[in-house]
Amino acid sequence: MARHNLEKQLNILEYALSSLWRHRLKSLSVLLVFGAVIFLLASFQMVTQALSDKAKQVLVHTPEITLQKMSAGRQEAIPLAYGDKLAGIFGIRRVVPRIWGYYFDEVRLANYTVMGLEVAEMPEGARLDTTLAKGTMPRPGDDAQGWAVIGYSITNALDLAGRDTFSLFRPDLSLKPFVVRGEFSRDTDILTNDLIVMNLADARDLFAIPAGLVTDLCVYVANPTEIETIAKKISETLPGVRVLTRPQIQKTYQVVFGWRSGFGSICLLSALAAFVILAWDKASGLSPEERREIAILKILGWETSDILAVRFWESVIVSGLACLVGMTAAYIHVVYYAASLFRPVLMGWSVLRPNLHLLPRLAAGDILLILAFTVLPYLAATVIPAWRSATVPADSALGG
Amino acid sequence: MLIELSQVSKIYNQGRANEVRALTGIDLTVEQGSMVCLKGPSGSGKSTLLAIIGCIFPPTSGKAAIAERQLARLPDRFLTLHRRETIGFIFQRFNILPELTVLENITLPLLPLGVAPKERRQRAHELLERFGISHRALFPAGQISGGELQRVAIARALINNQPIILADEPTAHLDTTLSREFMAIMLQLKAAGKTIVIASHDPLVFEHPAIDRTVTIQDGRIHVP
Repeated sequence: MARHNLEKQLNILEYALSSLWRHRLKSLSVLLVFGAVIFLLASFQMVTQALSDKAKQVLVHTPEITLQKMSAGRQEAIPLAYGDKLAGIFGIRRVVPRIWGYYFDEVRLANYTVMGLEVAEMPEGARLDTTLAKGTMPRPGDDAQGWAVIGYSITNALDLAGRDTFSLFRPDLSLKPFVVRGEFSRDTDILTNDLIVMNLADARDLFAIPAGLVTDLCVYVANPTEIETIAKKISETLPGVRVLTRPQIQKTYQVVFGWRSGFGSICLLSALAAFVILAWDKASGLSPEERREIAILKILGWETSDILAVRFWESVIVSGLACLVGMTAAYIHVVYYAASLFRPVLMGWSVLRPNLHLLPRLAAGDILLILAFTVLPYLAATVIPAWRSATVPADSALGG
Repeated sequence: MLIELSQVSKIYNQGRANEVRALTGIDLTVEQGSMVCLKGPSGSGKSTLLAIIGCIFPPTSGKAAIAERQLARLPDRFLTLHRRETIGFIFQRFNILPELTVLENITLPLLPLGVAPKERRQRAHELLERFGISHRALFPAGQISGGELQRVAIARALINNQPIILADEPTAHLDTTLSREFMAIMLQLKAAGKTIVIASHDPLVFEHPAIDRTVTIQDGRIHVP
């Protein structure tokens, strides 16, 4: 009995395949449109996940706690002396001053992120050495005056091929020269693409920030599990200071990517809904040829459930293939083309766009989510109305 | 008796404004191995009677027993199962699916029966040989001649070796030669023990010597001259 049922299902599957082949133009159009919708959804899902992973991976190199002075809800320079007030908090390994700002290049109409810090003062493991593709960060005792380590896009923006020096304008329009000592790895593009790291004194000179002030203080802790406790103690010691922890920054990135992805997904789900409605509409109506075919099959001994099974297999094959095509295309789009369609939406409209190498994890949960949002609605939209078409009376194949 | 109808009536859309009484008080018996012609003009109720004999739907009232099975209380699913095993249909214009090959058309009734592909092909080839169209097996049915189409339709009606063959206006769109050829094949099938009921108002059919009995249907009733 089981063998008979299996043979029957195989026969019905064979008929469904032949039916799809007979209506190959229609099947191919549905496959392409459905595949495109799945491609867009899967791309969004994969790129969001890959970006979040990438951000998480890169943020490992950021300080555990960052302190910024706030005034009237806006950030302003923080006195170096604030670092001394933290001396009594147990668990702080080191406090490193940092100048973080943006330099607008009027010639190239691009914003560069400038980070000035005393790399030599940074604790072991946080010196950014591991993120360099070439060159090195200055070691303790090195003359760090005038050096710069730059992100990938800066090389292109400043046209540094074949030379290692460049100059930036101070606020008084005098030029400040730099020597390139290193270049950040492309793996960290998401954060370092437009970044210029330099000596703290050089950054102070470049932005004309008075001595004794920096934009933020980076706090490194001895035990990462103590971050929240130490952050709380800092807040109590320095009430007017904004205390940002690494987990908070990571969460912010997740939220930003999540929000952008959610917005995009809603737009794409609307497209999917439109497609499903169209599929429902198509499956509800029958052409005279289709009615005739169903009537003939029924009079030849096919049951209503057999006709429904044909429709079910047709939908499974079309949606399965569309899923395969859409998800493969999405993977290629994200991995080999760095999600070029969605980068502006997900990463902002910076002039210096990071050329990311994204590698999405294909988790079973994500695949199931995409299947649930695409294949299931399509199956419902095609099989449920097929019930009505499968009940075409068999006698309509007979003459008057 | 292989077909036994007693006081059979059929009313479409019963109790509604568009109620149609298609058959009234039909009594008909057909013995095994005989050939009966249901004759009458279009709209007389021939096709409805053929549908009841073909287990497509039960009568509204009266008794209908086909191959010793009473249809009146059979649910739709069992009517289908009984039809599969008992009835082979030949339609007006043959109702062959033109995009399918000749072989695929012939084996259509076997698919829901769970017959394996090898056996399906074997049975179809035997019939194609018998009707001399084996060279057309893999042709799309839409590309073969009218005479070949007719033989494909007959082969399909015989593929599951059903004891009863029902033909609905089979010669309505055939020329005289093909109509004669059709009746010759029916004669062979009758000789092989098949019970055949043909609905037709073509004199070439109802006056054919192989027809054992002609039943005239008029306004849903059997007309007795």
